[in-house]
Amino acid sequence: MAEVIIIPMDLWEEDEEGVITAWLVDNNTPVKVDQLVAEVMVEKIQYEINSTCDGVISILSKEDDIVSKGSIIAEVS
Amino acid sequence: MTATKKLTIARAMAESLAQEMRVDPNVFVMGEDIAQLGGVFGNTRGLLDEFGSDRIRDTPISETAFIGAGVGAAMDGMRPVVELMFVDFFGVCFDAIYNMMAKNIYFSGGNSNVPMVIMASTGGGYSDGGQHSQCLYGTFAHLPGMKVVAPSNAYDAKGLMTAAIRDNSPVIYLFHKGLQGMGWLGTEPAAINQVPEDNYVLEIGKAKTVAEGNDITIVSIGIGVHHALKAAQELKQHDISAEVIDLRSLVPLDREHIIASVKKTGRLLVVDEDYHSFGVSGEIIASVVEHDHLMLKTPPQRITFPDIPIPFSRPMEQWALPSTEKIVDACLMMKEK
Amino acid sequence: MNPTDTQRLWMYRNMLISRYMEERIESIYMEGKKPVFNMANGPIPGEMHLSNGQEPCAVGICAHLTAEDVVTATHRPHHIAVAKGVDLNKMMAEIFGKSTGLSGGRGGHMHLFDSDVNFGCSGIIAQGMGPAVGAALSRKLQNKSGIAVSYIGEGAANQGAFHESLNLASVWKLPVIFIIEDNNWGISVSKSASTAVAKNSDRASAYNMPGLSIEENCPDAIFSATQAAVERARTGGGPTLIEIKTSRLAGHFMGDAEDYRPEGEKETLFKADPIPAYRQILLDANIITQADDELLIQETQQVIEEAITFARDSEYPAPEEAMLHVFAQS
Repeated sequence: MAEVIIIPMDLWEEDEEGVITAWLVDNNTPVKVDQLVAEVMVEKIQYEINSTCDGVISILSKEDDIVSKGSIIAEVS
Repeated sequence: MTATKKLTIARAMAESLAQEMRVDPNVFVMGEDIAQLGGVFGNTRGLLDEFGSDRIRDTPISETAFIGAGVGAAMDGMRPVVELMFVDFFGVCFDAIYNMMAKNIYFSGGNSNVPMVIMASTGGGYSDGGQHSQCLYGTFAHLPGMKVVAPSNAYDAKGLMTAAIRDNSPVIYLFHKGLQGMGWLGTEPAAINQVPEDNYVLEIGKAKTVAEGNDITIVSIGIGVHHALKAAQELKQHDISAEVIDLRSLVPLDREHIIASVKKTGRLLVVDEDYHSFGVSGEIIASVVEHDHLMLKTPPQRITFPDIPIPFSRPMEQWALPSTEKIVDACLMMKEK
Repeated sequence: MNPTDTQRLWMYRNMLISRYMEERIESIYMEGKKPVFNMANGPIPGEMHLSNGQEPCAVGICAHLTAEDVVTATHRPHHIAVAKGVDLNKMMAEIFGKSTGLSGGRGGHMHLFDSDVNFGCSGIIAQGMGPAVGAALSRKLQNKSGIAVSYIGEGAANQGAFHESLNLASVWKLPVIFIIEDNNWGISVSKSASTAVAKNSDRASAYNMPGLSIEENCPDAIFSATQAAVERARTGGGPTLIEIKTSRLAGHFMGDAEDYRPEGEKETLFKADPIPAYRQILLDANIITQADDELLIQETQQVIEEAITFARDSEYPAPEEAMLHVFAQS
């Protein structure tokens, strides 16, 4: 069963868009719950995105992709 | 196989610092905005929470004092890691660096160690102007008594930082702003690579061939390595096989490694973001030529920053900087000869 | 001595100009930097350090100065440049990196030089102090009129150059004034966390010169309090150290998340914004009417809009022009 990694709705305050500046795991590799998987930058602040469960990650958005709160950026299954 | 994870250079530096500080109580960090802020360039993120403000110290804007203090603490048995926020700021504290940090082992006849690391940000390309964009590799490499390293990727960044901290000699650790992974200075994805979770040391003074080739040797450090790797890819389409060497360290300089490569290819191109004259590029070329000029099929070339203050306006700065295209053009020209 | 009505209007007008300039630069700076905040992008690339809130420090002192007086400033220079009379079009063009800029795009916002009004600024903390001392020395040696004023932040008071410059200016009894704009923050480090004394003006006695602390971020207060220092310098009485408690309404640089500020601090600062406060003082004193004010606001905004248009419409320098002006023309 796949879970999604989604940019949390409360991760930053305004409705600004962000950009994925770094994936810290490779596609199709195993990840653990709460493992740091990506960095998202909003204006000049970096936010950390963690995995929501154990499994193998399937990256959906790439580095430099624009994302918003609520964007699904990967799946873990 | 040891577990690894992908890190940015900023995170790799912070991880090395944290792992060393956990095992060695003598390691401490000081500098401007390195505590609560985690460093303007992210390289001390998380350290204040873990180690507290005695060991992670924000300083006043007093470089001469706190870098001088680093020297004194190092000679007294501690292992300070001191941040000089921008390498360009060395002007206000250089005596402490080149006259004391770099010379006190010598002046003591080897009876004292100076196990100190100065970490400083380098590099331009984002219009920060003439006082905030320099590399100054040559300035630090030229003066005796300090090791100089400059990683091009996170794996090297962590290993070199650990090596620097453990070294009983002073080390200047230069990190390029364009490679930190901070996002707001642009990101070079190839600098974000797999880093072992355990701590490890990368020997200072050992270069690495990061792309094998037969036709031309391209030598660089820091961001220039990435320009060179991209150029090497492009040159394949022209049937040119370029070997790319990542120096990783400037002092000691791995001359053997460079010479062995040029012996194979017969052509040498140096890519250096620092100023053209009287610096790293000239040193590398001189080292090769004085070893055996007959190895060379064509005169060595260099792509460097011109001998001008770094201009602010984007078209001027971008024109002046080394780039992938300049490397490709130079290689095409050299291969014809 | 209090400022005359003319001087007060001059100060108010220049505060309006520099504030509007900062507001416009703030929004133009963000062009091309959303959603990806890459500093290299947009019509104003690089770093940007805005002076919102510190305007009184500029106008209160520059009201005493003329074009022949020398001013050196820092990485946060715009309000001082405006008050010193730097050509607004050329300054704006320089900030945009255009060939029509003060240095043809070579310097950018931290390195603005205008020899017509003897203004220069530099990005390394406290390093503008030495040149101010030197300019003062030059005037003294040549028996020429004019004084030098060096602007720094409170963080600079912990730099070596601060102590050396004060000592030298005092030993040689030079016509120079050192102004500390104390906004309490050196990027993320507060003054109390970095400075051994509560008042940097107390450090003046260590260098045998008068030290003055101004608590009010108000042009009138600053004007009156600094008059004596200016006269002292002009009449061979030597240097003065002046510390002004001001407020940095913006972050250290554009993009600064300012997590280090205690909660509520910014709200308090905004409530004490010196420009609306001064407007009210002038209205209450009948120096301007509401209608005058509206006209003045329009006029000052127009001046900046013209500068922006000039900057946008100007050409970029040809890239190879980077090689020019490294050395003086012979």
